[in-house]
Amino acid sequence: MLTRTDMMALTPVILVCATAITVMLGIAWRRQHAVTVLVSALGLNTALLSLFLFGELGTVRTPMLVFDSVTILGMGMILVSSLACATFSHAYLDGFPGAREEFYLLLLCAAAGGMVLTAADHLATLFFGLELLSMPLYGMLAYTFRDRNSLEAGIKYLVLSATATAFLLFGMALLYAQTGHLDIPGLVAGMSSGVGPWALAGVGLVLVGLCFKLSIIPFHLWTPDVYQGGPGPAVTFLATASKVAAFIVLLRIVEAIPAFHGAQAQTLLAALALLTMLAGNLLALLQANLKRLLGYSSIAHFGYLMVAIVVADKLAVETSGIYLITYLITTLGAFGVVTLLSSPYGGEDASALHYYRGLFWRRPYLAAVLTVAMLSLAGIPFTAGFIGKFYIIALGVEAQRWWLVAGIVVGSAIGLYYYLRVTITLYLMEPGMQRRDAPNDWGLRAGGLVVLLLAVLMILMGVYPSPVVHWMSLLSLAGS
Amino acid sequence: MALTLLPLTFLLPLAGCLILSLGYRHLGERASAAVGYTSVGLAALVTVFIVIDFLSGDRTPQSLTLWTWVSVDNFRPTIGLMLDGLSVTMLGVITGVGFLIHLFAAWYMRGEEGITRFYAYMNLFVFSMVLLVLGDNLLLLFLGWEGVGLCSYLLIGYYYEHTANGMAAFKAFVVTRIGDIFLAIGLFLLFTELGTLDIATILDKAPALWHRGNPIAEAAALLLLGGALGKSAQLPLHTWLADAMAGPTPVSALIHAATMVTAGVYLIARMHGLYDLAPTAQYIVGVIGALTLLMAGFAALAQTDIKRILAYSTMSQIGYMFLALGVGAYSAAIFHLMIHAFFKALLFLSAGAVIISCHHEQEMARLGGLWRKLPLAYAGFLIGGAALAALPLVTAGFYSKDEILWEAFAAKQNGLLAAGLVGALLTSLYTLRLIIGTFHGEQGSDKARHADPGKGLQHGLPLVVLMVLSTFIGAALTPPLADVLPAGPGEGVEAGHTALEMMASATAIGGGLIAGWLFLFRRAWLKRVVARGPGAWLWQFWHRAWGFDALFDWLLVRPYHVLVRWLQGDLIDALFLIPATVVRLFNAGLVRTQTGRLRTYATSMVLGAALLLLALAMGY
Amino acid sequence: MILVWLILIPFIGGLFCWRAERWGDKVPRWIALATMLLVLVTTLVLWWQGDYHLPKTGTPEAVRWAIEWHVPWIPRFGIDIHLAMDGLSLILIALTGFLGVLAVVCSWKEIAQRVGFFHLNLLFILGGVVGVFLSIDLFLFFCFWEMMLVPMYFLIALWGHSGSAGKTRIRTAIKFFIYTQASGLLMLVAILALVFAHHANTGVYTFSYLELLGTSMSEPFAYWLMLGFFIAFAVKLPVVPLHGWLPDAHAQAPTAGSVDLAGILLKTAAYGMLRFCLPLFPEASQAFAPVAMALGVVGIFYGALLAAGQQDVKRLIAYTSISHMGFVLIGIFAGTSIALQGVIVLMVAHAFSAAGLFILSGQLYERLHTRDMRLMGGLWGRIDKLPAFTLCFVAASLGMPGTANFIGEFLVLFGTFPVAPVVTVLASVSMVLAVLYSLLIMQRVHFGPAQGEVHFSGLDWREYTMMLGLVALVIFFGFYPQILVDTTLSVTDEVHQLFTSGSVGAAIQSLAGVR
Repeated sequence: MLTRTDMMALTPVILVCATAITVMLGIAWRRQHAVTVLVSALGLNTALLSLFLFGELGTVRTPMLVFDSVTILGMGMILVSSLACATFSHAYLDGFPGAREEFYLLLLCAAAGGMVLTAADHLATLFFGLELLSMPLYGMLAYTFRDRNSLEAGIKYLVLSATATAFLLFGMALLYAQTGHLDIPGLVAGMSSGVGPWALAGVGLVLVGLCFKLSIIPFHLWTPDVYQGGPGPAVTFLATASKVAAFIVLLRIVEAIPAFHGAQAQTLLAALALLTMLAGNLLALLQANLKRLLGYSSIAHFGYLMVAIVVADKLAVETSGIYLITYLITTLGAFGVVTLLSSPYGGEDASALHYYRGLFWRRPYLAAVLTVAMLSLAGIPFTAGFIGKFYIIALGVEAQRWWLVAGIVVGSAIGLYYYLRVTITLYLMEPGMQRRDAPNDWGLRAGGLVVLLLAVLMILMGVYPSPVVHWMSLLSLAGS
Repeated sequence: MALTLLPLTFLLPLAGCLILSLGYRHLGERASAAVGYTSVGLAALVTVFIVIDFLSGDRTPQSLTLWTWVSVDNFRPTIGLMLDGLSVTMLGVITGVGFLIHLFAAWYMRGEEGITRFYAYMNLFVFSMVLLVLGDNLLLLFLGWEGVGLCSYLLIGYYYEHTANGMAAFKAFVVTRIGDIFLAIGLFLLFTELGTLDIATILDKAPALWHRGNPIAEAAALLLLGGALGKSAQLPLHTWLADAMAGPTPVSALIHAATMVTAGVYLIARMHGLYDLAPTAQYIVGVIGALTLLMAGFAALAQTDIKRILAYSTMSQIGYMFLALGVGAYSAAIFHLMIHAFFKALLFLSAGAVIISCHHEQEMARLGGLWRKLPLAYAGFLIGGAALAALPLVTAGFYSKDEILWEAFAAKQNGLLAAGLVGALLTSLYTLRLIIGTFHGEQGSDKARHADPGKGLQHGLPLVVLMVLSTFIGAALTPPLADVLPAGPGEGVEAGHTALEMMASATAIGGGLIAGWLFLFRRAWLKRVVARGPGAWLWQFWHRAWGFDALFDWLLVRPYHVLVRWLQGDLIDALFLIPATVVRLFNAGLVRTQTGRLRTYATSMVLGAALLLLALAMGY
Repeated sequence: MILVWLILIPFIGGLFCWRAERWGDKVPRWIALATMLLVLVTTLVLWWQGDYHLPKTGTPEAVRWAIEWHVPWIPRFGIDIHLAMDGLSLILIALTGFLGVLAVVCSWKEIAQRVGFFHLNLLFILGGVVGVFLSIDLFLFFCFWEMMLVPMYFLIALWGHSGSAGKTRIRTAIKFFIYTQASGLLMLVAILALVFAHHANTGVYTFSYLELLGTSMSEPFAYWLMLGFFIAFAVKLPVVPLHGWLPDAHAQAPTAGSVDLAGILLKTAAYGMLRFCLPLFPEASQAFAPVAMALGVVGIFYGALLAAGQQDVKRLIAYTSISHMGFVLIGIFAGTSIALQGVIVLMVAHAFSAAGLFILSGQLYERLHTRDMRLMGGLWGRIDKLPAFTLCFVAASLGMPGTANFIGEFLVLFGTFPVAPVVTVLASVSMVLAVLYSLLIMQRVHFGPAQGEVHFSGLDWREYTMMLGLVALVIFFGFYPQILVDTTLSVTDEVHQLFTSGSVGAAIQSLAGVR
């Protein structure tokens, strides 16, 4: 039975779901874009607040879900990213001719799914969360379906995601076949006497399913196409909330399940990490489409993050927390700028790099935000990204994984090339270039404010990281 | 008293240089010249005072430390001056002869563009040269040493629009700099071994530390010699001097005859204690001197440019000085240095007078028959030439050169003595060839036919004073070296001196007679001899000064150019294109996988999953 | 607190410059000038008031620094904002202030577009450099080390000149950035490894320089870490073969950028070696010294030979920097007091002479609109005093006695001779090459037949004052370098002691190993 504590721990998820229902009913009653946004934001904010309130409970374990510090962090990040996406969508969808309100419904559902995923302590909730996260995303990606690219993105993600889910399910079945359990503690107990071949195959297939969501190489091919085609806010959500949730669950199972601790599995994970960070950066090298480029960049960043999966100790959890936060605010900032410059009735999203030429001389602050975001992605000191990179390298050095450290160094060096290319484009001025512009009052709107806030956060976290660092140092997984 | 005035000897020229370089916009030609020679003139006055004061005192070396240049650990060179017999002698030559040449230049450079620049360089040169001889430590000496080199470079390349002049200046600087490297390494060695660069301390410490013939002492002596060879244009670093004649003639007189080129002689004399400990190095000094004086003597025979003849003659005379140093006759070397400064300055200034009078013509073939038109220059050439050829008794050159030969004889260095005698013969030959070619015979061109004699005090006074100094009157100025430099081997010995004097005189006069006969009466025959066959070959060989230029060109210059051209594109940097290209290739390859086709993507997932499982299975 | 202000002033000034652009082009220039003057004056006042003749080593560490400022930053890893100043950093910051002023003044007319943003970047570079010189916490040091690259990148990419075929200014800027940043990451790895090694020994996380001094490590491990530091500094110095970014960056940066690059950014590398590489890993550095000195010699010759083959004036000067920095490298790894002092004097001297030459090439470019020496020649009589100033700096660059460069080079050589005579001899040989490449500027640009009749405008008072001031400084330090020596003696003494004690320690260890 659910206890009072369990209920309290569940409050944020319940709140998000309730908001979703409210929004749905609201749409049925009367379409009102602004109100919908307001309600969504209100609901998400309340959920965030409740998260803070109930964050003091300590680890709470229900049969299917676990609420530990990592869950809280993950939920917090998902809520923040959903909030940001909601505000971006408001600006983005403002002039959209079709139905606008359903987007928020999908967003809220996906957020709820992500939150469940971060708390998953059972393969059933894992599956449930993952699907609840993914299904609305198909809709969101194809939301501006009159645009071919958007539709294509949605369908691609749908089909490939289904394939990945098939692997995941099969993997779960194999795990069950080996151990007779679906809950993670049970799985761990079942493997205590040794990892059987089915279990190994099972975790392998589960890994495939999750790696797809994280676009770990070689399961990454969908990423650039979907990033490029999907509408800005949807891609923002995909790049942030969806990945954070999937990463947390991966971290959880890798840390818990002994099958991942064998030498071979470790080597495999390290190889995947190395491959991903190098190939992600290599792919982005000459990319001229900003959204695609950010897609590749996210591949690379999850390559770096895989180092935490490989090491999977106390410091690794802390590192993951830091890195995810820095990644989150940076990516939100970058996509936020892209979204603010785009709008579905103005044709394709402003993703080609040449739209950004000389942006600084027209919209200095907006360009400055993108600059900071790019520098942060590149990991330049005094931005959040550097703190993340610092942690990842520290983790690699501490664990004496020199190959991975070398990979990070090389990957970062390659990465600089394209981040800098984007950055400098913002400052070049050459006459006769096609221009895309944000509305003049962008800075006063919610989306603009959020973007500015994110930029401030990026710098603040680079300059004064110690509160976040302190907070993250308290992180631990319930299993350990 | 004299000591406190000592800094003025270089500060005055420095002030002149500063005034000229900062105010060059506002100074006219006359004002520039006036600043230029007045500053050196005042320095000369101060020098006169110092010399009198010094000579009337007890002549002990004194030193004046202005400030510590830099002090780290035991490395504490100072800006310190030393006043002793040697530096007084050098100081007198530099400021005295320097002033006369500065004065003459006011006439010579009249109407030239950039005369302010000229005087600024000249003053800077005097400043550096004075520091060179006054410095009480080797680092300060090195400062002067490099400073004069720079000024020499600038003045050779004074006519900057002519590429040839620029190249000559460049060459001069580079070749002397090669010598300077040796000097610098010598400094490092001396400092490392002795812990000081102070000259007096070095000369004090060295005998206590090293016995005679100690390899380190030999090495140090040879390294310093390397520096001296470059600056004094001795074999094999002599090739720059003849080309250096591209500069204005007063420059050749001051820098490339009277002062800078003798710095090497000064250096070795200054460091005599070291050479006393290094007999091999000292012997090499003598041998190089002998070889140079012969080589340059022959080369001087086959030159057609009057300044080049004088340049080779300078090399040859410095060869004599080196020869003297090589046999341990330091005083004789310095004495010859001083006398040489007088008569060679005279010769160069006279040559300058000829060149300006004949509208910048210095090719001997296009001069000739000028003795009536240019009597003062002719007199200068006659007296200077006589001193150069060491005409017995009446000329100063006789006394100084004779002493060198005598010391060589007394040191029982018969080879060196023989070289000296042959050199004397050569000297007479080329000197007479020069005088006859320039002043007698037919005028070779319109420029010579329309020669305007120089006029005025600035033209006349320096020539006359130097003429006086080049005669036996000049030889009466005995430098006060006895307290500074050890006695030469010939000191106090008299046996055979008269015989040697007779022999030397006979050589000089005999050479003169042969030359007179050859160049006055057998001209046609001479022309035929050098026109073809072995005579022509020899002429060319000597004309090109034994082919050293070609040798160095082949040995050093060309490989250098090849190397530079080969490296031009920065090969090492180009290596870094490899990783860049690899990255690009990978990028190209990986981007191809992004086909945009769903089936490819799905396939890749399945394949990836299969691989992943396979990898896991292999470990199981 | 004054140290914090030294760092903050340029940053704040930079932001003001950017916003002040709306009031016209002049305003940012004056603000930038005032800012850098403020930094310079503050530093000079500190110099005047402070006592840098600190007692010799062996005294408690509390008095090590003349001024210190210290607050916790990231306690989790023992990272502090720890700023400290001693003689070495003082001199380098004074230099930064001075060259900052020069950089502002020399771009007065050159930069006509986006003036505000230009000065923002310029001042941010300088602020970052000051941060590098003041940071004593390795993490903070690294932050500034990497951070200062960003504005430099902008400076080159946005206001640079286009280079020869295929070398756009953006490519150049990216090349510069990637070289330095990637090597910087190696240093970060080394820093972290050092911190974890210290943690393993003591159980304490700290990035504090003083506490990390003397961390005991196995010999090969220390060697690797030392290499991590060394490579980062070697790229910046630059040491051949890691120099590739420099000629391009120098040639294509605007004048102010070249001045800062040559004048101070390169010096941060030498500073890093003196401050971190040698003291943190004395044994390893000692063991590495022969290699480093060999690299120094290679650099000297390579730079000299390359310089002689260039047609672009600024590229030529850039390669001479490589050559000069070879001397610095040799001096650092010779480790004797004399050589280390030589390094410091040479750093200052090279900053002046290279800055002078770059500013002069900038002025040439403003008049001739080319940097190609094949299109020059015979300029002596045609640009007023500019050639004469060129001559002064060329003389300094070839190490003419009486200039500070001479003192620097010769102190290095005097100090190196007892340790490594062969290296010294080889380095001395390069003096001839120095003449070749230095005079090449005179020969090709100012001497020779005049190419055309045009007389170019002479130096205005701004340019004239700038040049005269630089010449005066070069000569002043050539005759009285002692003030530099007095200020930094305690620092070099300490480095020297550590370095030699390192050799003794290594010697003892190897002896023990033999037995």
